[in-house]
Amino acid sequence: MIWLPVLGLVVGAAIGLVSKWTIPVEYSSYLSIAILAALDTVFGGIRASLEKSFDDTVFLTGFFTNILVAALLAYIGVQLGVDLYLAAVVAFGVRLFQNIAVIRRIVVEQAQARRKARQTSN
Amino acid sequence: MKRGTMWTWTGVAAVFGFLLTVQWSQHPSSHASDDNFVNVRTQLTEQAQEHRILAAEISKQAALLAEYHAASGSKASMRQALREDAETVAEEAGTAPFRGPGITATIEDDPYLPFVPQFAGQFYKESDQWIQLIVNYLFSNGAAAISINGQRLVTTSSIRLVVGLDGLGGLQINTHPIAMPYVITAIGNIGDMKAALTVFQIKNYLAAMGENFVVKTYSGKDGLTVPAYTGPLPGTWAKEVTNP
Repeated sequence: MIWLPVLGLVVGAAIGLVSKWTIPVEYSSYLSIAILAALDTVFGGIRASLEKSFDDTVFLTGFFTNILVAALLAYIGVQLGVDLYLAAVVAFGVRLFQNIAVIRRIVVEQAQARRKARQTSN
Repeated sequence: MKRGTMWTWTGVAAVFGFLLTVQWSQHPSSHASDDNFVNVRTQLTEQAQEHRILAAEISKQAALLAEYHAASGSKASMRQALREDAETVAEEAGTAPFRGPGITATIEDDPYLPFVPQFAGQFYKESDQWIQLIVNYLFSNGAAAISINGQRLVTTSSIRLVVGLDGLGGLQINTHPIAMPYVITAIGNIGDMKAALTVFQIKNYLAAMGENFVVKTYSGKDGLTVPAYTGPLPGTWAKEVTNP
């Protein structure tokens, strides 16, 4: 069943390619920050799954809320003439790397535990 | 993993994939930036300008060739064709008066224009630059001959703002002092010249500095006359070397 999200990713990318949907250049930076927020939520979800604390509702609401709030923050920053865009990039960037570090640690620990279990069984 | 969770991940992955593709198709690579767009646009403008100059040159040479072909029978006709050619060259070089349809652009002080403290009086410090700018716009947009207050511009002409330490002085064209109002007379394509002055908003810039900019058109074959250049040209004082 793990192939289903991969298929979803491929289908989403295909729709994006086929539909040739474009956004005005001036809004391009908002989409960039929205993608960064989405990436952060996805890695947060993977981490939560590995820690066995994943919740569908929290994940879904987090995904869409983060996207909207990140884009909104960037928009407000442009209107105020303050680079709030950078604040969002730094915040999401830091969280992204923290999540990746935790995921790596959990995966390594699980692999070590599996190896140890195999050795004791032999 | 639960079935519902799997569908959640699938939906999120689809949305994420869609967003990524839209962003990538918007910016295929980091090199396709605004800078590239500006470069391409600049190059396109340059090429279009060069194309127009070359096309005009080709049509002129073709007309000349046809003239020579037509006159190839008799010496008198050939001499006449060569004389006309010499007159055309002299007109274009600036050593003969040039007549034709064109425009006049007059710059003069206007105390009734709104006072803009930031730019007021600035024209007196930059008048040479502004007139050079206008002349360049006119030459690159269809002007065949230009004079400023009766001073014909040729390849070696100068437009200078000469001011002494006492603050006295003014604009000089071909080293001849000229005074306000400055009248730029340009003969050539009226539509292109007027369009260039409008597009580059010369009137608005000058108005901000308190200067009125009035453009008048003179259509018809005998619309305007630009006088000949009377100063020395390159080579005027040169002599052929006989004993190298």
